[in-house]
Amino acid sequence: MSILTLRSLSGISQNRRMNVFSREMKQRQKDWAAQLQDSQQYDYLRQEVGSRVADRAAGPTFHTEVVERFCLTDVSQQSLRRMRPSEIPTHCVLADEEFLPFKENTFDLVVSSLALHWINDLPGALRQIHQVLKPDGVFIGAMVGGETLYELRCSLQLAETEREGGFSPHISPYTAVTDLGNLLGQAGFNMLTVDIDDIQVHYPGIMEVMTDLQGMGESNCAWNRKSLLHRDTILAAAAIYKEMYGSEDGSIPATFEILYMIGWKPHESQAKPAKRGSATASFGDLSKTGRPSGTDQP
Amino acid sequence: MSGSNVWSRTREKMRLFPELFAQCANEAAVYGKCVAATTTGTQELRKDLCAKEFEALKICFTNAVSASVSNCHTESSV
Repeated sequence: MSILTLRSLSGISQNRRMNVFSREMKQRQKDWAAQLQDSQQYDYLRQEVGSRVADRAAGPTFHTEVVERFCLTDVSQQSLRRMRPSEIPTHCVLADEEFLPFKENTFDLVVSSLALHWINDLPGALRQIHQVLKPDGVFIGAMVGGETLYELRCSLQLAETEREGGFSPHISPYTAVTDLGNLLGQAGFNMLTVDIDDIQVHYPGIMEVMTDLQGMGESNCAWNRKSLLHRDTILAAAAIYKEMYGSEDGSIPATFEILYMIGWKPHESQAKPAKRGSATASFGDLSKTGRPSGTDQP
Repeated sequence: MSGSNVWSRTREKMRLFPELFAQCANEAAVYGKCVAATTTGTQELRKDLCAKEFEALKICFTNAVSASVSNCHTESSV
């Protein structure tokens, strides 16, 4: 009897716990990137996505009349130190996104911009976000998805196959947009909105792509990553990338597929789907609506 | 960071990569085309399928490296 109970308890926490990424490595990479002399030059992607997220949240700026206080969390202490001071009182919390140190029903709004793609237990993290939100609170997130860096992924894959006879993953796995809706629903969010944006950035060559990714703190930290990239493979990948994807002006594109998501914590005030059989009009009536008479067509 | 170590020396070498690579654009294109052809055609990519083309690229690149190294040596006498 007690064995059965234990089993069902572990069943509640969603089968085996996923462990794809080394969070410690990610923290080290972010710390390193944040202390670079010219770290701002790698901020362009984060800034672009951040402004698009803010648009979805409240328009270009948050005003003090609307927002009482900000709470900023990051797994890297150096990244937190880099944050610019703002007129809204900001609380900085050093925390792992997978273990949010907040009580239930604390926040009206949770925003996550380009952080969720390094989380091991994404369903768990989404559930925690759901928990720390107040009822009728909203979560707005942006994460990189499925097709991100496919050019780099393919070039490395082909180069490694031709040069070394096999390949190992260098790009971390991403969530597909089709899975995102399910994940949010399972975490308990309502009124979901998911949409995709493709940002294409042009670089002079493959080395610049990889250097910038490092500078952004976005190097691979998956446990299954190969730590060495042979010089021959880099050379081969550079040639393949340029040949297969290069533009006319000699630059190469790198695609970032950004998935934006909005989800609300349920509350009675939220609109619910109407009950079956409660319709007061029929779709068939649409064909009976006539054109307004006497109006000029432009 | 703390002085010169294997990481800073490697990074320094990698910084020169784009310039050297640009000098071998033709060889790179030939190799790239050879590999790219396997993605559309019926032939599957396997190890050393384009070894000849890669050798040409590698030789060109190595020559570019030694040329730049000798340039460095003559310039660093300042």
